[in-house]
Amino acid sequence: MSVLKIEKVNKAFPGTLALNQVCCQFESGKVNALVGKNGSGKSTLVKIINGTQKPSEGRVLFNEKELTFSSPADAQSQGIATVYQELSLIPGLTVAENIRMGRFKMKGKLIDWKQTYAEAQEILSSMGITVNPRAQVSSLSMWQCQMVEIAKAMSSEPKVLLLDEPTSSLAQHETQILFELIQELKKRDVIIVYISHRLQELWEICDTCHVLRDGNYIGAIPDMKAAAHEELLHMMFGDTKVKKKPNDLMASDEVVLKVEKLTRKDTFQDVSFELKKGEVLGIAGMLGSGRTELLRAIFGSDMVDSGVVTVEGKQVAKASPEIMKNMGLAMTPEDRKFEGLNQVQSIQNNLCVASLKKLSGRFFMKRGKEEAAAAKQMEELQIKASGPEQSVMSLSGGNQQKVIVGNWLNTDPKIMLFDEPSRGIDVNAKQQIFEIIWKLSKKGVSSIVVSSELEELLEVCQRILIMRGGRITGEIMADQIQISQLYTTCMGGTIEV
Amino acid sequence: MSKKRETSIVNFMSQNMMLCILLVMIAVFSIVAKGFLSVGNLLGILRSVSITGVIAFGMTMVIICGEIDLSVGSSIGLSSVIVAKVAGSLDAAGFMPLESSVIIAMVVAVAIGAVIGWVNGKIRTRFNIPTFIITLAMLNGLYGLAAILSNGFPITTLPSWYGVIGAGVLGKIPVPAIWLVLVFGISLVVMNYTRFGREVYAVGGNMEAARLSGINVNRVKVIVLIIVQVMAALSGIILSSQVYSGSFSFGRGYEMDVIAPVIIGGASLNGGLGKVTGTMIGIVFLGVLMNGMTLLGVDDYVKYVVKGLVVLVAVLVNAIQDELAKKSQ
Repeated sequence: MSVLKIEKVNKAFPGTLALNQVCCQFESGKVNALVGKNGSGKSTLVKIINGTQKPSEGRVLFNEKELTFSSPADAQSQGIATVYQELSLIPGLTVAENIRMGRFKMKGKLIDWKQTYAEAQEILSSMGITVNPRAQVSSLSMWQCQMVEIAKAMSSEPKVLLLDEPTSSLAQHETQILFELIQELKKRDVIIVYISHRLQELWEICDTCHVLRDGNYIGAIPDMKAAAHEELLHMMFGDTKVKKKPNDLMASDEVVLKVEKLTRKDTFQDVSFELKKGEVLGIAGMLGSGRTELLRAIFGSDMVDSGVVTVEGKQVAKASPEIMKNMGLAMTPEDRKFEGLNQVQSIQNNLCVASLKKLSGRFFMKRGKEEAAAAKQMEELQIKASGPEQSVMSLSGGNQQKVIVGNWLNTDPKIMLFDEPSRGIDVNAKQQIFEIIWKLSKKGVSSIVVSSELEELLEVCQRILIMRGGRITGEIMADQIQISQLYTTCMGGTIEV
Repeated sequence: MSKKRETSIVNFMSQNMMLCILLVMIAVFSIVAKGFLSVGNLLGILRSVSITGVIAFGMTMVIICGEIDLSVGSSIGLSSVIVAKVAGSLDAAGFMPLESSVIIAMVVAVAIGAVIGWVNGKIRTRFNIPTFIITLAMLNGLYGLAAILSNGFPITTLPSWYGVIGAGVLGKIPVPAIWLVLVFGISLVVMNYTRFGREVYAVGGNMEAARLSGINVNRVKVIVLIIVQVMAALSGIILSSQVYSGSFSFGRGYEMDVIAPVIIGGASLNGGLGKVTGTMIGIVFLGVLMNGMTLLGVDDYVKYVVKGLVVLVAVLVNAIQDELAKKSQ
């Protein structure tokens, strides 16, 4: 039996302590779960174990021998393999090529293809995976890719296998196939660390469980079989109080947005809800629940198969971002870098993209209006920069997010859609974004907030819709529910609290 | 000199490296190349760069928008053939004399240019095929089409007044230089002062962000691809006027001379970055360099090598300039 020991590991980032004196140990022959809510430090711990980041203090020991890595590649060669939730296979190559990438069987200076395919076949069948090694990865389904990914990781005969949310993009029956594979791997001398958001899975697949909260190691559940659900939830969330939101938020009966039976095949089905004027509505759901896709579809950035969206009594015929913008909608996307900002341009230009029509005549831009619009948002949103000409590339995440919000506020929207507005920004900026949302509410602007950080929704929203498996499965008022209850509802409600 | 003044000069130089290099080059040629610094020669430079220069401004928009058009050289040839062919046919059919039929012919050439650009744009946006491939195919296709239309021979059915467009002089100023400055001015205004210009920068800088900001990305792409082809057609008219004929071989290989000044001017092939004034500097830069070398009696083949090196060096200079700008922020 081998043991991976984490000894007094600290990891400090500017302004925060991501890990605080974490001590724990993972053993082979078991599936070790590592859980914690968002921001608990579990991904930081994974990155320290696999050499992507160095600890500020403390050591990682393998069988009482200290591990030090000069790079992630070095960690790999020392037997630490990681399977990330975003797949890292190369779609244009075959399964065997992906598995043996960088470690091809050679015949002199040339690749020995026959041997390479034979070896890949052997690796796959030893794990009971029925995928053709000659198949091109792009032709495989999601779960097959996930299996190949694990086969690839195992082919280097690692001592430690880190599985980071391997089931997040899989359907129920596909998950089962994956679990059978993991059970099979348990027989080998490898330490399996399993990270998942889907709590009920832990009882199915894991033997022990380690809990992190706000960078602290809370403790372990040595035997999952004997553990009660309340125990784990309490370890994860503690006795956190949700901060108060202002009580003068606008609450009206006027419906501004009505969504009826909106369906996009394989993504979300029959979604119906109403949004009132000035309301702050949350959509809670785990990764893969269809929440982001729903928001994108309402805004017209993705097509839908059926269903009706009505804005202020007017039915939308053919949604596109351009049309929805003209109807008074605005959306801040989940991915700032790739969908939100024009990195090479100035703050001012980024603040005026969505409102170009308003800031120009028939052809020509109105310089004065443009400068005023940018200055107004920089002031009101407290965007910290040397001036409007600074490029957005050099701004912090929080300030970038404010630029995206400001870009939309310049269009004078009636409905704001926020997709993960607090992702990757610091606590202060997060609070400022919340305050913006509340201020809008008081002015009668409605908001829909999508977030995977459920506490955040309780903090910022009045009403929350629960989304699971592409459907709205429930609706709650934010001040009538506890965070652990909300968590449970989002996970699927099989855990009784 | 005060310290403040000094840093502002250093700033200006680090932000306008290509302009500084151009000025140094002009100074050097003025000294070493006999006849370089005469009004006639300088105006001559403008005249010689006008053919490709006119298109370079359209190409600037295309490149800022994150696209490319490699087919402009062939479009020059096609446009020249169409003008001569249509003018001659209308005349031969007895509809109108050559003197007026050529005006119709020019309109037709420009319209066909617009259609080519529209087709490029539609294939780009509808099927999401890179413009590199589409216009590479066009480069060959249009060249062949021009050759077929002209049976492989130059067509000379053009009226005598037609020469004014490309070879005329207004006072001392060559007419094509006027076209160049006119297109420069219009492009400058479009890219810096109109909504469309902003949209081009937004689309090139981040297409998805622009789309999600409610900009009609496809429309913007189609329009810039039309603009560059219209400019190529105009350029074909200027060239055919200079030589009093239309031929499929006109403009062969001019892509390089059109794209090079845009790159020298600091535009990024990744899109989102570039300036119309930068392209103007690039155009003059290449013109001065070629002219200076000719005056110095440099071998033609050596000129090609120098031209190639200059583009590489320009890209390096712009990269260094970007790094300096990032550091200073």
